[in-house]
Formats: sequence, C-alpha cells, structure tokens
Amino acid sequence: MFSRRNIVTYVVALAFILVLNFLLPRMLPGDPLTAIYGDEALVAMTPQLKAELVKRFALDQTLWRQFGAYILELCRGRLGYSYYYNAPVLTVVLGRLPWTLLLVGTALVLSSILGIVSGIESGWRRGSRTDRTMLAGLMSLNGFPDFFVGMVLLIIFGVTWRVFPLGGALTPYSGLTGWATVLDAVKHMVLPVAALTLAHLSGGYLLTRNTMITVLKEPYMLTARAKGLSQGALKYRHAGRNALLPVVTQTGIWTGRVVTGALFVELVFAYPGVGYLAYEAMMARDYPVIQGLFLVVAVAVLAINFLVELSYTTLDPRVRGVSRAH
Amino acid sequence: MHIDVKKEIMGSGPARIGFAILLVMILMALLAPLITPYNPHQQTQSALLAPSGSHWLGTNHVGQDIWSRLVFGARTSLLVGFGVGVLATLLGTIFGVSAALIGGLYERIVMRLVDAFIVIPMVIVVILVAAYVKPSILVLIVLLALLSWQGGARIIWAQALSQKEREYVAAARSFGAGTFYIAWRHIVPALGPILLVDFIYGIRRAVFMEAGLAFLGISDPTVVSWGVMMRNALSFSYLPVWQWWLLPIGIALSLIIVGLTFVGHGVEPIIDPRLRGAEVV
Repeated sequence: MFSRRNIVTYVVALAFILVLNFLLPRMLPGDPLTAIYGDEALVAMTPQLKAELVKRFALDQTLWRQFGAYILELCRGRLGYSYYYNAPVLTVVLGRLPWTLLLVGTALVLSSILGIVSGIESGWRRGSRTDRTMLAGLMSLNGFPDFFVGMVLLIIFGVTWRVFPLGGALTPYSGLTGWATVLDAVKHMVLPVAALTLAHLSGGYLLTRNTMITVLKEPYMLTARAKGLSQGALKYRHAGRNALLPVVTQTGIWTGRVVTGALFVELVFAYPGVGYLAYEAMMARDYPVIQGLFLVVAVAVLAINFLVELSYTTLDPRVRGVSRAH
Repeated sequence: MHIDVKKEIMGSGPARIGFAILLVMILMALLAPLITPYNPHQQTQSALLAPSGSHWLGTNHVGQDIWSRLVFGARTSLLVGFGVGVLATLLGTIFGVSAALIGGLYERIVMRLVDAFIVIPMVIVVILVAAYVKPSILVLIVLLALLSWQGGARIIWAQALSQKEREYVAAARSFGAGTFYIAWRHIVPALGPILLVDFIYGIRRAVFMEAGLAFLGISDPTVVSWGVMMRNALSFSYLPVWQWWLLPIGIALSLIIVGLTFVGHGVEPIIDPRLRGAEVV
C-alpha cells in the first residue's frame, strides 16, 4: 500500500543525516576526539579514558570501520557524553524535548485550526472586502519572522504590561504544586505559543483559500446549492472538507518549519526546550550535545513527515501510487 | 506558456507594492555609503544614546550608529538573498531539466535525492555545520543554496516533463537538435515564469534564514547583520531602546520578506492558472 519509492526517500534522508553527523567532526583538521567530545572533555581526559574512547569509536581504524562503530553505538542508544552538562547526551536532550513538543504541538494545532477556518471564510467570500483585507493582512504577517513576533510580544505583554512572565517554562523556586504548577506552565507558554501560531498561521490560510477557490468551481457545489443546503453546510461540509486534503498533505512540511521556528522562539523566551539547548551547546562548543540534538530532532521531523504521508495515502485513495507533485 | 509576465505582475496590486518595497531596499543597499553619516563598524564612547539629529536611530551598546548599521545590514540581507536565489534556481534548473530530459536511472536517482532533501529540516543541518565550520558569508550562501534547491527542482522537473511532450520539441528533434540544445533553447525559456517564482521564493527563504541564523549566533563577524543586531537589542529589552533599535530592524527585515511574498503571490497564478481571477486585490 505504501509505495517503495517513499520508503527509499526516507532511507536516503536518514542516511544523509547519519553520514553528515559522522563525517563532520572526523573531517576537520586536529584531534577527532576533541571534535567529537568538545573542549570540555580534554579536562576530564585521562590516558585510560582516551584509549577506551579511541577503541570504542575505532578511531585508529579505517573510516568504514569507524562508521560501523558509530552506528553500533547509536543502536545501543548511546549518543555520547556531554562533559559540559556532565550527563549522557540522550538524557540531556530527552530532558528538554517535552517542552519543545508542548510548544510545537500547541502551536501546530492552533495555527492549523485558525488557518483553515480563516482560509475557508476568506475563499468563500473571494473578492469581497473581507477577503481582500484578510489576504493582505495574513500575507503581511507571513513576512514577520517568528523570533521578531516573539520579541514584540515579549516587550508588549512581558516588559510593558507585565501580564505574562518574561521567560522560562516555570517560575523557579515557586513551591507551587498540582494545578497551580499547570497554571504556571500555561502562563509561561502563552507568549511563545502565540508567537509561533501567528508566524505560521498564513501557510494554512493561503493553501486553504486557494483550494477553496478551485473547489467552489466544482460541479458538485452547484448540485449542493441546487439541493437548497444551508450556507454553513455548503461552506464547511461540502467545500471546506474537500479543501482540507492539501492542507493535510502539507502538515509534515509545516511541522518541520514550526520545529525550526521553535528553535528561534525558545531563544527569545529562554524557554528550556531543545532550541535553547542548541543555542547553549553552540555557545559552549559542546559538540556531543549538538550532534545528539541534530540526530534526535532530524529523525523526529523525518518520522512525523513519514507518518503524515502514511496517513494521507490512507485517507485519500486517489493519492496511492500517484506521483507526489508539490 | 504564452504569458506576459510583466503584465501579470503589474496587474496585481500587492505585487506593485511589493516591487516598490524591494526597489527602495535595493537602492538603500546600493547607496549605503552615501546615506549613512558613520562607519557602521566604528565603536565610540557614546553608547545607548536616544535618537537625535546626529544619530537618527540612536546608538547601540558599543556606541555604533544604529541607522548606519541598519542601512549596511540591508546589503548583507540582499546579498545572501540574491546569491542563494541565483545559485538555488540554477541548481534546480540544471537537475530538474536534465532529469526530465535524460530520464532513466539518472532521473530516478536525482529525484530520489531531491525527495530526501525536501524532508530534511534545513535549519538544523546548517546549525550542525556551523558548529564546526564558522561560515563566512560566501560559505553561508553556498551552504543555503545546496540545502534549498530541491523544492524548486521538483516543480521544474514536473513542468519540463510536460514541455518535453509538446510538438515543438519533437519538431526540433526532427531537425537534429541535441538534448542540450533543446534544453537550453526551448525548455528553459518556456519555463521562464516558473523559474522566476522559484527565484523569488528562494530569495525570501535565504533572507529569512540569514537573519535567523545570525540571531542564533551563526554569522560572519566581519559583516553587519540584522539578525545579530536584533539579538543584541533583545538583551536590552528592559530599556526603552527597543523602540529605535529593535523595531526599525525587525520592520525592515519584515518589509523585505513581505515585498517578496507580494511579488511571488502576484506571479503564482502563472503557474496555477486556476487561481486567476482570485486576485482582485
């Protein structure tokens, strides 16, 4: 049912990510151990440890052997050790991942709902004043980078009006428990989620509006109208539902974009997700964390893309076996 | 595709606005030394000044004139944008058209690679590479182009496939035209409008990425970048300086992207004629 071609695509993508992650530190001039482990590691490095690491990564052997050793380590779930955080990389990354998933998930749901509804309404009123205003407004919004939207929200609602906290995911040392903690987390989420939602709203809107315009010209819309259906039923049940499919097919690509956006927005709000971790690790030149992070985030985005494709080939029998033209 | 691109773009209101915005920005970048009173790199003792007659947008934390940096920053943004746009469209055209015309195993390999790259999140790859190689502006342009031509190649490939079946290609072949000649003299000119849209969206993506990556700390320290300036301004958000430091830069960046979006949206109905008449703005 799922075409072999699609599987090949994901295998190639995964291979590229693995090879890049493997080759980059090893191709650079200088001691590969430093490039794999970062400057922090040199402090902790004893001759025994060094010998052990050289052996584990097969650094004294051919590149092919080294690659084999690298893949083997990954299969064991060992992404390396961060000497900066003094913890295994996997633990560091997984500790931050839930916060990013929370931001990205909420923003994706909100921006798709708002984008689809505004797209349906706008496309239905094609050419009217409302449609033109919405189109110009949302297309302009599209131009505002997510981190700039975040900074503006931060200054208005955080600094000037003081309605929302300035950063972080929870109030430190607050001693809150139960529902109070949840409420605190929600308060910290509002601004970053709002920034992401606003910045990524227009993609869904534009696509839905475009499809809506073509769907409205279909003969079955005339039939539905002739049956005397109500406006609401025409708009949402007949036109809207058919305008939804292209939006679903794009969800995978959007997820990638929102994840990327979250990297920037987290930095604005010092939100302790993987984006902020990437920034910290880059500043500290903590190579193991950067590598592990790259692997986890890239594989997660690939997996989501894969699942979305799998789901819409199931949803729409027409797509099966047809070339996926963007 | 017999479409008058110029008429199509100029017939759309937002596209005209977009063009005007881009023209102003390009002029600003070209005339930078003439319209700025200070050297954008020169640090002075007078830090964090409010706007005045001598410093239109005040000064930043190391006493650099913000207006001068804003104007010179447009150069970086547009240079990266156009550089990546040209390079990515070129790569997309070469691989898209050659895959469509040559076909066979070559086509299958190229298109599988293209598909694979489309699903890989580009920013994360750039962050990883930048962690090891501090990219100069040239390296950044090449890197962004290498990672972003694939989406366009797919569209170009699909269009080139349909062009390949047209009579005029068969006619050219019957006169003994080779594959390269057909590609260069017939297919590529016919794809003109699509290449234009690909180019415009390529610039938009690159302008956005350059600012975002600089904001994350990935930038060439020898050039003035809006992303770096916004990052610096963010550290002073508790002072009123954001009004003349952060806002003008953020707005200038957004204006370029909005301008490109408007122009691109004006050209889009050329690719998908079903959208025609949708554009009554």
